[in-house]
Amino acid sequence: MHRRGVGAGAIAKKKLAEAKYKERGTVLAEDQIAQMSKQLETFKTHLEEFASKHKQEIRKNSQFRVQFQEMCATIGVDPLASGKGFWSEMLGVGDFYYELGVQIIEVCLALKHRNGGLITLDELHHRVLKGRGKFAQDVSQDDLVRAIKKLKAMGNGFGMIPVGGSYLVQSVPAELNMDHTVVLQLAEKKGYVTVSEIRDSLKWERERASHVLDHLLKEGLAWLDSQAVGEPQYWLPALFSELLSRDVTPEEANQMTP
Amino acid sequence: MSFEWPWQYNFPPFFTLQPNADTRQKQLAAWCSLVLSYCRHQKLFTLDVLEAQESPVFNNKKIERKLSVEAIQVVFEELRKKGNLEWLDKNKSRCLIMWRRPEEWGKIIYQWVSKNGMVNSVFTLYELSNGDETEKEEFHGLEDWMLLRSLQALQTDGKAEIITMDDGKGVKFF
Repeated sequence: MHRRGVGAGAIAKKKLAEAKYKERGTVLAEDQIAQMSKQLETFKTHLEEFASKHKQEIRKNSQFRVQFQEMCATIGVDPLASGKGFWSEMLGVGDFYYELGVQIIEVCLALKHRNGGLITLDELHHRVLKGRGKFAQDVSQDDLVRAIKKLKAMGNGFGMIPVGGSYLVQSVPAELNMDHTVVLQLAEKKGYVTVSEIRDSLKWERERASHVLDHLLKEGLAWLDSQAVGEPQYWLPALFSELLSRDVTPEEANQMTP
Repeated sequence: MSFEWPWQYNFPPFFTLQPNADTRQKQLAAWCSLVLSYCRHQKLFTLDVLEAQESPVFNNKKIERKLSVEAIQVVFEELRKKGNLEWLDKNKSRCLIMWRRPEEWGKIIYQWVSKNGMVNSVFTLYELSNGDETEKEEFHGLEDWMLLRSLQALQTDGKAEIITMDDGKGVKFF
């Protein structure tokens, strides 16, 4: 019986067909690449036009920045990923956040001796805006959060702790674990917290609560008030609302240990 | 002009001596600053420890917090170490508060003297601290003991000489 497809001849034929497909594939790929190259060129030109048109907007308008960042996130681009390149050079996005980062560090350093290196995002925002003056560019809390994330990635000891719908910004590398964070969140409401409150709200043992509070005292984030009615209260300068708009006086500056 | 209290004054823990050493250091520095500013504002030159406890400085009625006697003593000891306080008795119940040191006062007095072209004139201590001419000056109302020390500082510098007169002391400026 004579079977089709099997035998030396069939194999050779198959091989030839494969070779032809391969060649065709190469030709197809080359075509595609040529097409893609062209598209990329066009894309690059459009990006450059975009950049020059919107560079001003990016520097001046915080809402635009949010939307721009969201757009970048959608297409998988991080404009703050590297210092060089299109995003920072042409659009100046990197510069804007870099400068903001420096400002944030300055504010936190100036207040560190008061609050131990913990500050609410609100207060930080308030002081950054103040420092920029009337005619400076608008800065939103979203901008601050992004700049702080960048600082954190660069290993500057920065961190953000979610409390009461916003954040506490940590600017010193104090070790704060989940227990500490949760107590900070509890303290946010009144600016202070007690052992009883911790036990009632979090259902912890007395020792665990004391341990956390001692740590906060040790890190300089909390002060002890032993004249409170009932039991001692642990107050955090970072959450003391009266401090929000109080500038550092020359006297206070003189008290700061170098 | 009313006295401006620092932020710590309304912060309840400020009136508790802090257990943490670093925080306590900051606290004491702030207390020293507050005591000196307050005394300067009120032109107080001496303090009595027992009376001090009831003074607004150490007793904030609004937030119902006051510094204990022990804590006040700690603050005073800090001030003494810095050269701003001197005990008047062994029991440490009264002290002199020098929110300005004698050398600083001496300088201010001498500036006034030379600015008014009164070098080489003689003054009685009373004229300097209570005279009409000095009414607008900061050193007006300066207590005798401080005035004397300030002039002694100037004397050491060769800028003045304290002379004894019939009814008290006087000073000549060079």
